[in-house]
Amino acid sequence: MLKQLTRIGVLVFAAGLVSAFLVSYAPGTMVDERELDRRLNETSIRELRSNKASHSDVFGNLRRFMVGLTKGDLGYSESNHSPIAALIADRAPETLREIAVGLAGGWVLGLALAIPKRGFSVLAGLLLSLPTALIAYLCLLAGAKSFLVLVIVLTPRIFRFARNLLNQAYTAPNVEMARARGVTETKILLSHVLPAISPQLLALGAASASMAIGAIIPIEAICDVPGLGRLAWNAAMARDLPLLVNLTMLVAVATTVATAVAEMANPE
Amino acid sequence: MICTKMIRRIAICFLIVVALTALLPMRYEHQFRDSPNAGPSRQFLLGTDDLGRDRLSRLIYGTRVSLLLATSAAILSCLAAAALGGLAGSGIADKLILGAADLFLSLPWLFLLLMVRAFLPLNVSPLISVTITFLMLGLLGWATPAKVVRAAVRKLNASDFMLQARATGSSRLLSKHLIPNVMPILWAQLWITIPAYVLAETTLGMLGLGVMEPLPSWGNLLRELEGGGIANHPWLFAPVLLLAAVIGSFQVIFEREDYSV
Repeated sequence: MLKQLTRIGVLVFAAGLVSAFLVSYAPGTMVDERELDRRLNETSIRELRSNKASHSDVFGNLRRFMVGLTKGDLGYSESNHSPIAALIADRAPETLREIAVGLAGGWVLGLALAIPKRGFSVLAGLLLSLPTALIAYLCLLAGAKSFLVLVIVLTPRIFRFARNLLNQAYTAPNVEMARARGVTETKILLSHVLPAISPQLLALGAASASMAIGAIIPIEAICDVPGLGRLAWNAAMARDLPLLVNLTMLVAVATTVATAVAEMANPE
Repeated sequence: MICTKMIRRIAICFLIVVALTALLPMRYEHQFRDSPNAGPSRQFLLGTDDLGRDRLSRLIYGTRVSLLLATSAAILSCLAAAALGGLAGSGIADKLILGAADLFLSLPWLFLLLMVRAFLPLNVSPLISVTITFLMLGLLGWATPAKVVRAAVRKLNASDFMLQARATGSSRLLSKHLIPNVMPILWAQLWITIPAYVLAETTLGMLGLGVMEPLPSWGNLLRELEGGGIANHPWLFAPVLLLAAVIGSFQVIFEREDYSV
């Protein structure tokens, strides 16, 4: 447990450091769109540039960020004109709700469709062939709610993983023996198959959380959901470095915790 | 079984036809100023866009851009994975490479792409944007294949034939024993990675962070859907159908649970 916690801590810190490096040394970091505003005079533009330059010290920024973090201060978002902690607190419930509904729906549908021997494979293949952004757009066109997009995105993935696990479990000798004794299929599923694959399913549960976090950005950006995914997309478009680094670390925490849970549930 | 084999052959043939068609010489940027937003006709099989450019030409050229560069990026990823996964066998190198792979995997791929792509200069040319987009895909996607290669190399290193080769003092362990046995794994990784990169570019393109106009790619062609009017212009769905058919064919040939984009 302690080893996993240390690993999570190191990974999250490294993710913050890497993201700070990436954005600080990207060729366009020093460019500010406001410089294109013709109403600004030389002095204002010089001020903008010096402001940008003051943010280029990666280690200094990261140190300031860590000190602020201990006081609950995550910094200030220039593009949103608001403290980052308040922005995250404001947007997180929407994203959490989307992810919770998406995961619940994806799991119920994915498992329910994986249990029968046939069906859904072709549709799952088709859904896996479309990018999340396109599914989000098609749902938007059809007037579907945004949480349905995540359900549609996650269901075929969970279905395929679960179907492979179930296929393996159904070929186990104890299942064949139970069938030979005339045990009903429902009882075989509940007493033999599901207990046998429960560690892998638990691991899949954690992995699907990671999938949901990855899919939430295009969904929120396209469906215009005021959550963390849209905030990240807006921050990326507005080149808001402090907000982006914070969101990166938040996403890294969520993903590494989900991965650690998956690894603990199924060490293989 | 015979049916599955037949479907796989059809999928391979379809991919070959798409790849060859994508190589046809096309003038994707030519504007027919007299016929903007035209419907399908004998001259323009898929109509024209609002700038009067032939949609079919753009779709064919976009297919070339997306498939060629996704394949190049996948090759780059697999080469990096082979080098790093092969190096990671024991000692500090193993810990460092595994740590770096964990770090890359701890951030959702799209998030990382979005972040890096957004911080590139505002005024990049289409050619540079396409290079950068796929270079990023290639450089950021090495972690999963590297872990697979590492596991295979470790298993091979512990195998009896490697032990025997070492005991007999064979000087060609790498070229004669290791690489030939890792190659099938790398081919499989390459085959899995290509559709994943195509989908990643499409998502980036739909978010406005992929290949820049006027160069077409599946990402920015699908962005046209956002203009609306699909009910009256069903031919706008042609890129969606082609994308689904191509990625579906990759899946039929090599099934995978998650492309994660």
